[in-house]
Amino acid sequence: MDRIECQWCKAQNEPGRTNCTTCGAPLDTKDLVTDSGWAEAPRLRDMTQFRFSNSICQIEGEIVPVAELALAQGDSVFFEHHVMLWKEPGVPMSALNTGGGMKRMLGGMPHVLSIAHGPGRVAFSRDAAGEVVVLPLHPSMELDVREHAFLAGTHSLTYSFVRIKGLANVLHGGGGMYMDRFVTQREPGLLLLHGNGNVFQKTLRQGEKILVEPGGFLYKDSTVTMNAVQQNVKTGVMKHGMYLAEMAGPGRVGIQSMYVHHGTE
Amino acid sequence: MSMPPAAGAYTCPYCRIASDGQEATCPHCGAPVNVRIRVSDSGWVEQPPIRDMARIRFSRSTCQISGTYVPVADMGLHDTDWVYFSHHSLLHTHPNVNLGNLPMKGGWKRMRAGLPLIMMRAQGPGHIAFSADTPGETIAVPLRPGQAVDVVEHRFLVATGNVNYDWQRASIWFTTGSGDDTEWHYPLGQTIDRFVATGSNGLLLLHAPGNTFVRDLTPGQRILVQPGGLIWKDPSVSMFLHFEYPHGAYWFSSARYQAKSTWLTLEGPGRVAVQSVFERPELVGSITRSSGATTHYW
Repeated sequence: MDRIECQWCKAQNEPGRTNCTTCGAPLDTKDLVTDSGWAEAPRLRDMTQFRFSNSICQIEGEIVPVAELALAQGDSVFFEHHVMLWKEPGVPMSALNTGGGMKRMLGGMPHVLSIAHGPGRVAFSRDAAGEVVVLPLHPSMELDVREHAFLAGTHSLTYSFVRIKGLANVLHGGGGMYMDRFVTQREPGLLLLHGNGNVFQKTLRQGEKILVEPGGFLYKDSTVTMNAVQQNVKTGVMKHGMYLAEMAGPGRVGIQSMYVHHGTE
Repeated sequence: MSMPPAAGAYTCPYCRIASDGQEATCPHCGAPVNVRIRVSDSGWVEQPPIRDMARIRFSRSTCQISGTYVPVADMGLHDTDWVYFSHHSLLHTHPNVNLGNLPMKGGWKRMRAGLPLIMMRAQGPGHIAFSADTPGETIAVPLRPGQAVDVVEHRFLVATGNVNYDWQRASIWFTTGSGDDTEWHYPLGQTIDRFVATGSNGLLLLHAPGNTFVRDLTPGQRILVQPGGLIWKDPSVSMFLHFEYPHGAYWFSSARYQAKSTWLTLEGPGRVAVQSVFERPELVGSITRSSGATTHYW
């Protein structure tokens, strides 16, 4: 039987489907890739539904989309508490201690993540115009995400955070001191991110490099290295050497088109 | 300001440049071809957003607009072409693209006005991309040799190397208070940018928050707009302030002191473009001095 391969997450779908069952991406859309090789994250149609585990996720709205989850018994998602838009009163909640309390406090990251357990409905959104990016993670995948960009992750994901190494990277990288790291172990997981503006993804070959405005970085495979590289240009009378994030493959890199320029004062 | 179209050619209603009309989008400004033009009763034309993945050609290079909320202008630069921009707008670049500085004159004044002191330039070959930091539209303004447009500050995204950039005082101001308490207000900013194509056709890309509307003003025709809503205008369009003073119920609530409306009058001939998102003017005290202005009490 013919299958339809999702151009976004590469999952196989049954014929006749109009959107991917794994990530919700439209299946009948043409592959939108710019001349320079950046693919647009699929713009999820309003009210798009897709499944994970025994639960259902529905994306609502288009300017500041909401991810509404109908959690099944036994399923759960974790998230930063301020992204929860609403929940049914009966949805059980618990806390996920992230560890590294002092480090996270210094990095301006929450000490405790919230967990919502099924059964019940809960919805999430961030506070900027943009897109919800759905990233299914297959076993053994590792994804690094800029801080405060993740919306929710399913229970099968392992959450940790990694320190951004190098003083220049911390000071000029635009991503703060830490990045969120999401890892899958045995079963597939689903990660929902919020990107400001539009989101684009490029897959870098081994050794291939691209320079990205640090504030535009959204996520990357852990195999992609990221270093702040000083450019030999002036940006003001007393300012020398703007910094760009040099991403080196192999792996995926995701960027957002709306950002706060890190060097802006 | 329109250019006579060649016989049988399609003239873009937005940039007024003729092409063969065989493509889905105008090759000069990216506007959809054969679009159903929507003109409001008052004469404003909603400029259609550049279609996702539309390509604009300039010189021997291309510019592809991708995204819809905060569009990205992804340029494929030929090795003979270069563009300049403010470093804030750079999103990503191929390592091969040669980045450098483009010094600007009037450093002290520009610094006081909050404008970038130094522009960056990028020389091909390679890909480089730009985006702004607010949801809105990327606007392509193709310029014929010698053609100029005036652009409100902070709307500029990127321009081709053959577009000359200069700036001048906006000369739109008013003061409130007196003596040591005098406050100066610049509804358009202290300066306004002027871009002129030199030698050959040039391309100017702007980013405007919200939606964009354009209209032609006939000679002597006036329109009042929010000062913060203006994006660009033809140099032939003149502008000055207009103050309205609604009548207040009590002397201390009189508009003379608090609730005045500050408008920008645009007078034709020429094209003007406005954006639907703008900064609300602050309520200020009694106006003591201003640049040329008209008033209306009601």
